[in-house]
Amino acid sequence: MQPLILALNPTSVPGTVLTNTVMVGCVALLHVLFATFLIGSCTLVALSEGISMVTHDERHERLARGLVHAWGYIFSTGAAIAVFFVIFVLVGVWGRFFVTFQQFTFWVWFFEGLTFIGEIALLYTLYACWERLRGYRLARLGLVILLNIDQWFQMFFIDVIASQMLTPTVQGATDNTSYLLQFLNPTNLPLTVHRTIGNVAWAGAIVALTAAFQYLRVTRRQEATALVPGRREPVRALGAMPEGELVRERNREAAYWDWAGQWGMLFAFGLTIVQIWVGYSYAKEIQLHSLDSWYQMMYGWISNIFLGQFAGLGLIFILGVAYFWRRLKAAGQHAVARRQQIALILLILLFLFGIQPAWLAGSYPDIVAAHLAKPFWDGGLEDPFGFFFPWKVMVLIADMLIALYALWSYVRARVRTPMTMGQATRGSQRLLIGMAVVVGLMMLIMGIIRESSRSPYLVNQNITISHQVILQQPAPNIPLSQRPIGP
Amino acid sequence: MSMGRISRRQFMVRGTGAMAGLITAMLSVPAVGFLLSPLWAANKEIWVTVQGGPIDDIPEGLPTARIAAVPVGGGPPAPPVNRVVYVTKYRGQLYAFSNICTHMQCDVHWEPSLSLFECPCHGGLYAITGRNVGGPPPQPLPQWVHRVHVDAQGKHHLQIANRLQEQI
Amino acid sequence: MSERTAGSETSGTPEPPDKGDFMGIVPEPVVGPFRRSWAWFDDRTGVTGLLHKGLYEAVPRQGGWAYTLGSATLVIIIVQFFTGIFLLLDYVPSVTQAYTSLEYLRADDVFGDWIRGIHLWGAYTLMLVIGLHALRTFISASYKKPRELNWISGVMLFFLVLAMAITGAMLPWDQAAYWTTTVVTNIPHYLPVIGNGVRILWRGGNFVGQVTLTRTFALHVWVLPAILVALIGAHLYLLRRHGEFGSWVNYRTTTDNPAQEIAERARRAEPPYPTRGSEAIYSVPSETVDFFPDQLFKDTLVSGVLVVFIFVMGLISGAPLDGPANAATLTYVPTPEWFYLPLDQLLVFFPTALIGFGVFVVVGIGATLMLALPFIDRNPDRHPVHRPDVLIPAFFLIFTVIYLAMLGVNRLYNL
Repeated sequence: MQPLILALNPTSVPGTVLTNTVMVGCVALLHVLFATFLIGSCTLVALSEGISMVTHDERHERLARGLVHAWGYIFSTGAAIAVFFVIFVLVGVWGRFFVTFQQFTFWVWFFEGLTFIGEIALLYTLYACWERLRGYRLARLGLVILLNIDQWFQMFFIDVIASQMLTPTVQGATDNTSYLLQFLNPTNLPLTVHRTIGNVAWAGAIVALTAAFQYLRVTRRQEATALVPGRREPVRALGAMPEGELVRERNREAAYWDWAGQWGMLFAFGLTIVQIWVGYSYAKEIQLHSLDSWYQMMYGWISNIFLGQFAGLGLIFILGVAYFWRRLKAAGQHAVARRQQIALILLILLFLFGIQPAWLAGSYPDIVAAHLAKPFWDGGLEDPFGFFFPWKVMVLIADMLIALYALWSYVRARVRTPMTMGQATRGSQRLLIGMAVVVGLMMLIMGIIRESSRSPYLVNQNITISHQVILQQPAPNIPLSQRPIGP
Repeated sequence: MSMGRISRRQFMVRGTGAMAGLITAMLSVPAVGFLLSPLWAANKEIWVTVQGGPIDDIPEGLPTARIAAVPVGGGPPAPPVNRVVYVTKYRGQLYAFSNICTHMQCDVHWEPSLSLFECPCHGGLYAITGRNVGGPPPQPLPQWVHRVHVDAQGKHHLQIANRLQEQI
Repeated sequence: MSERTAGSETSGTPEPPDKGDFMGIVPEPVVGPFRRSWAWFDDRTGVTGLLHKGLYEAVPRQGGWAYTLGSATLVIIIVQFFTGIFLLLDYVPSVTQAYTSLEYLRADDVFGDWIRGIHLWGAYTLMLVIGLHALRTFISASYKKPRELNWISGVMLFFLVLAMAITGAMLPWDQAAYWTTTVVTNIPHYLPVIGNGVRILWRGGNFVGQVTLTRTFALHVWVLPAILVALIGAHLYLLRRHGEFGSWVNYRTTTDNPAQEIAERARRAEPPYPTRGSEAIYSVPSETVDFFPDQLFKDTLVSGVLVVFIFVMGLISGAPLDGPANAATLTYVPTPEWFYLPLDQLLVFFPTALIGFGVFVVVGIGATLMLALPFIDRNPDRHPVHRPDVLIPAFFLIFTVIYLAMLGVNRLYNL
């Protein structure tokens, strides 16, 4: 592929390659957390509202309402970040990339912007009118579904851009590549599916996080109120509810937040199971169509970060199953809890086996260069049991099956025996918080891996990062035959 | 068990069962034998010459596809099937690769831009020595059982048998 | 039977024994020659009684459109049988003549190409409809007691249809068929112990040859259809025995005393209701209609639309015929049919050491779970909202299959 070098006078851009990359990275990651939550929570709202219409369970409706109310400030903040990101960071700091890339993905950007208008219209309408549309629940649900579709397309168009950066199918600025070819570039499909699922998982994690915090707040032991000298009862604040009603209110709230935490957690946990193999398919496509990026991710220095990602996956399952265990135990279902405990132990063992690194150095080429690419018991720096294939693959498959079993067993127990909400232990809520934090960290780390494994390119084999700051030749292309290729 | 009298009914029940069992056994023997016969069929080894002339002018390090009409054994007489022989010379060794992928037996071809054999079905990759270096294939690219025949002019002709060197 | 009344007008006089009163049907006085010959035939076979029993069975009233999928599957299978017979009148299962016989069928036989097209599009549509039928049955929990065997025979039918599709694709002996044969007959060798033997048995040796084609032909034309017909018969018999199952919407009670309402329904129920062996609430639907004409109308309409679709697509798109089989190709890319893309994509993801695991263990687990579903989910509740413990794994399975197919398309497009 020919590098796309603009025949422009290279005016200098403030900052250096490093500072600009860090700035773009931070703004992008922040944007990602907001955007993914909005899309995912829209799906959750549609689901919850739909279920509440069928089963007349008002908890689902309350959750939907809560999420919609949260949209007001989350979207406004997120939109500000997105607009700031695009205008000042993308156009300002990576202007050359933005202008060149837009030339052949113009309409994709255009329609993505259009969906933004749709999102503003629908989201703020729902935010403002949720209560007023109480009498028209089907129409209200229809609006949510419309918003969901609109947001999904927003994500889809951005995924086309993102996957074009990784596996471009466009040959150059003057290339008349059809949009169909752009949409069907090899990594677009896995990326879109990965993000569609990940959005809902992240929204579920945030719901679990919020619910856990609220539960902890509501069940906090009331501080002992001071005894006024001469009086026998503690002073109560003016307007405070009478004791009995306070307890009832607290129990209602605790029951709701307990349920909401579980509800969000089921999505976060369950969809992470699917994400493993969707992510695997994504990595496979990258391997097939952009070997350099794949190699950097799996064998280069970024592989250490990828190992952290792997550990994060294991942690999500461990924390999730631990939550199942503690929650079932608190509900008195000891037989099922015992099975969850066994699953937890298996997961911990798998985790400990799985996080061993395959080489005790910065990257694989390092130990190859030092002629130390042999097992450590042969004097080298390799650990054969740490290789992704087949050991970590088997660990992942086992993780998926055990987690799926744990999820199924928990849901079955919930369906068979009515569980009283509000009985969760405070420890189980802390597990939820931990799980949600790990999910968020995973998303951030995934973003870092994604962008770093493509370096020094912004568009693979085409535009480089350094080119944004000063005019420079792109990095040389190292031939494939010099790389050890794995499965 | 006392050899007491059995009733008519019992005799008929048992007799029917015995005769039915006998019929089934009689039918099964040829049927099962027929079905399982290919497992023990001895395949006659037949040698054919690889078409396309002598192999002297095939350059080193460039796998060249030649055709051989191989009679695949077993079954009624059928015309021989054209199969690919990738004649490869590399570091003093002569290889007569088949282009049968060891993953799902799709057709493998030499991809010059990668300097590797590539299988389009699932992305399997083999090095010039046949070693499986990428993708799903579990074994190296199989070679035909082959021998070289020198003719009167001193030219080398490659001959292959109708079987592979190893089971894939 | 609701229209016929038995017995005589006056209660005092007994019926003369030779009046021919069969199942409460009073024979009308025969008039024209058609009626006379029909009466003659009916006296000797009892066909009218069977027809009445079949046609006037009670079926639930609501949800009738969803139940048309089962009969649509049957109709398409019958279409396949018929077009298969026509193809059989021309096709020769020989490595040298299979391809030429199909070329002859396309070029020289009137409607030959169309019939082959119907056979192909019938297969595609059958895959779709059978999947939807399985999905509907799953969602409406029709596999619960006492209909477990219905579900199991249905799953076996599904596997058989898949086997029919793949063996049929191997017959034309064009490039697509030859490479499909090579790849598919190669899969069994990953089985431990017996794998290589199975491959040799199917191929008739180590390589694909004449014996492979003959054996595949025998499978496709006789062995598999025989088992298919037997299983379809069992499937339909079981359906009739337990009654067409309605979803939970058919069993809603509206009064304040559901037990009494259900008892009242059971008292008024027409055969085959009340369903023996199921819970009281699911033994009789709240409203039933006669199979003929209500349900049969819907069945015929849906089947008709599908058959028209198949015929039209068979005519415009036809069935492709690649170049003749050539084992010596360097450029042909073997591509599976769309409904086998999920399995093919699975092969991409399980390389070298894990091939056997991916092909047999993963698929085996999926197949076992499908078969064992009635025994895993014994919760009597039928409403989907109360069955998340089955719906969640089913969601994973269905998502996996669809996503694998999409990945397959993505990969093949980007080769």
